[in-house]
Amino acid sequence: MLDVEQRWELIDKIAKRTIKFGKYRHTLQDAIAEITVKPLTGIPIAIAVLYGFWAFFVAFARFSTDGFLVKLFDMHWLPWLQEVFPAGKESWLYYIFVGDPLAENCFEAFGMLTSGLFVVIGVVLPAIVAFYLVLIVLEDSGYLPRLAVLIDTVLHKIGLHGYAIVPSILSLGCNVPACTACRILETKKQRFIMRTILAIFIPCGAQLGIMLKVIPETVGWVILYLLAGYFILGFILSRIVPGESPELLLDIPSYQRPTFSNVGRKLWVRTSSFFTTAIPFVLLGVIIINVLHLTGVIDWLATGLGPLLSGWFGVPKETVGALIVAFLRKDLAVAQLSAIEMTKYQMVTSVVLVSIYFPCIATFVMLLKEGGVKGFLGSLAALVATVFLYGGLLHLIWILLGVA
Amino acid sequence: MRILLMGHPNVGKSAVFNRLTGARVTESNYPGTTVDYTKGRVRIEGDSFEIIDVPGAFSLEPKDKAEEVAVKMLEENKEAVAICVIDASKMERGLYLALQVIEKGYPVVIALNMWDVAQDKNIEIDVKELEDILTVPVVPVTAISGEGIRELALRIKEASLVKIEKIIEKAGN
Repeated sequence: MLDVEQRWELIDKIAKRTIKFGKYRHTLQDAIAEITVKPLTGIPIAIAVLYGFWAFFVAFARFSTDGFLVKLFDMHWLPWLQEVFPAGKESWLYYIFVGDPLAENCFEAFGMLTSGLFVVIGVVLPAIVAFYLVLIVLEDSGYLPRLAVLIDTVLHKIGLHGYAIVPSILSLGCNVPACTACRILETKKQRFIMRTILAIFIPCGAQLGIMLKVIPETVGWVILYLLAGYFILGFILSRIVPGESPELLLDIPSYQRPTFSNVGRKLWVRTSSFFTTAIPFVLLGVIIINVLHLTGVIDWLATGLGPLLSGWFGVPKETVGALIVAFLRKDLAVAQLSAIEMTKYQMVTSVVLVSIYFPCIATFVMLLKEGGVKGFLGSLAALVATVFLYGGLLHLIWILLGVA
Repeated sequence: MRILLMGHPNVGKSAVFNRLTGARVTESNYPGTTVDYTKGRVRIEGDSFEIIDVPGAFSLEPKDKAEEVAVKMLEENKEAVAICVIDASKMERGLYLALQVIEKGYPVVIALNMWDVAQDKNIEIDVKELEDILTVPVVPVTAISGEGIRELALRIKEASLVKIEKIIEKAGN
């Protein structure tokens, strides 16, 4: 075996005999490459890019859902189903599959074929498609590593480095692949911090989509509160978790024009994998929650946990159902919250609780798979502490503002 | 026979993999897209081979979890042939890993990917000369459009073991 120096010496000799560098012209691409990575111009551009991302996501999701799919579901699908469903309106089958016979929209009905399908196809699907479309363009263009360079200093404060932006942004689509993406971080400490804060604080695309629909006015505040939590918990973990946080050593690729075929293929693969993993869980979630309602388990839990929910977190005890569903699917849980009577502030707290309280089961499995038993238990401990302290803090804020 | 796709992060291993197998592994333009391996099959002149898309690694001394997977794949497949994918516009850097793989005793084929980018940058590579020095097949490829993939597939069988001393000797002249 050669040593490092001998190998480079050999490469030098080979290169001298085989490579000729022609005259290099400074192209438009190089100019773009420079202005997007220099802080003075790069940071405003990054803000514009991220804002554009969000604006497109919101516009696309609202256009499809409110402009089209809500009408389809509420004016055609729901009345039709209420009319033709073979079982009687009082039967438990009707309750599970169609839900409330008097419901006028698919959110309130909460049957498997009404709310279940509406959440997946009517609300979440357009959001997922919009999100992945922009994300894929960002991925393929080569912009993500530049974002990593710009945000490096900030992420060092929480024991990570700029490249942690990659799992963080992927996580906004789905936490599951984001947990795997943490492997690009160098040390165990970094991977632990990253997995833990993304599983707790980053809402997935499905959840973002449903939040837009359920709490359109306050969704921005919820996201800000979660983002603040991401940094606070990251900061604390970086101080107490032993291990190293090395510097960012990153290769920035050249910009590329995304190709239609690759964007289309990736969009298809991700959307279809969303379908196959989300639909069974959402439908199952509706069944489970309806069965728990019918058997009185929810009431029993609501009474038992009521003092904790209303006393500590300041939310109605009925939210217990949503918290159970949140374990399966966050989007469904937020949808369920919309049917519960509460104030705007309680709603914000409930949505935040659904977000930070246990990650969905699929993410849970990834935390165990990627972190091992020890890492998993560590994430779990951080999670429990976060739910009580950070969730309770929001209640305290409302009390201080006099709106609780 | 097993084929391993080895190379630096973000040189287009997944693109080569998708082209060879018709699979739909995620391709993106940032290092670290592939963090776990994917297996696929490729048919070359009637024979079917197993091919593995390995996560990118800068060298065989792993620094992160994805590189650990890469080194482990190499060690677990002692009989494999390696396609070393190199970014043609940064050839020297890619050769480092390729030489390490050759030294470890694997038959190698070199795919000079992003050939179109290298040409845009006016980088001229003497492929014949490179092949002559390394004594392994060297194939210019543009995986994103599929150019050169057929030749790459056809030349996998020419991969053979090379002694590093022989390369040093040839490079010296």
